[in-house]
Amino acid sequence: MLGRYISDLEPGDKLGPTEVIYSAFAAREYAHCNEMYQPFFHAGGGEEHYAPPTIIHTGKLKLFHQACPGGKGPDARVHIEFDAEFIEPVPVNTKVVLSGEVIDRYVKKNRTYIRTNIELRNAADGRLLVRYIDTNLLAFKPKEGGAA
Amino acid sequence: MSTTIRRTALNFPIGMELRTPPRRMTRERMRWYVDLLPTVEYDDGLVHSGAGTIHDDDAYAISQGFPGIISDGMISTNWLSSMLFDTFGKDYLTGGKLRTRYIASIYEDQVVVCVAKVTFRTVAEDGSTEYRFDIWCEDDTEKKLTVGEATVRCSAG
Repeated sequence: MLGRYISDLEPGDKLGPTEVIYSAFAAREYAHCNEMYQPFFHAGGGEEHYAPPTIIHTGKLKLFHQACPGGKGPDARVHIEFDAEFIEPVPVNTKVVLSGEVIDRYVKKNRTYIRTNIELRNAADGRLLVRYIDTNLLAFKPKEGGAA
Repeated sequence: MSTTIRRTALNFPIGMELRTPPRRMTRERMRWYVDLLPTVEYDDGLVHSGAGTIHDDDAYAISQGFPGIISDGMISTNWLSSMLFDTFGKDYLTGGKLRTRYIASIYEDQVVVCVAKVTFRTVAEDGSTEYRFDIWCEDDTEKKLTVGEATVRCSAG
């Protein structure tokens, strides 16, 4: 269910689309905080400059925050799986479009999981740059009686 | 951090392993990822704090059922991803696939080594080579913490 908490999201809920421009600063910050020191992710003086493709993880959070202004819900989410295909490098200072859809919500051992499909496309021509399926556990502690 | 094998040696046999030197998952490394999330989201040239999570706040992590703070899984994903980019360069970013599953929490000061083991290799008609890897992060007892697979197609030449 859109509009409240992330923990309320259900299959079929659409996230975005929303336009994003990753600045050189954002790309460098993402790379630096993950100790990726390759010049490809740190340029900015006219050289080729791209964001690490895993920056799409921040895009998921941006989509969640826009769709669910109430925040995470009662418990901390725990990231379970990252599954991505990197089709083209993600350029900095270029308009891209993030979109997503919740594709599954299931309970296993009294814990609730959600899976979300996220795409990052070039805004100018719609080319797919990164495809990502994210799996999250909505609460680490199992809930008595079933779903979180 | 550089991997032990550089891009000049791209004739990888099945069974060969790429390995990073060990790194300790310090409190600082965990906080860097916590803070980069709002920093990238706001993207206004300032560093923003994302404090108050299971990755940087012991009391909150304990309230959520953990013995203490745990690292964001994306840190180990990014260390594995960086190893593949170090090895394959732009080829990894154009058609590469990466799946990581966090099978054990990584706690403060736990040692992490990233590994990619070649499981499949084929040369296409255009001369490109596709490699598939089992990938994982292990601690200093060789306990696996993060597992997954990766695929990279190396362009010819």
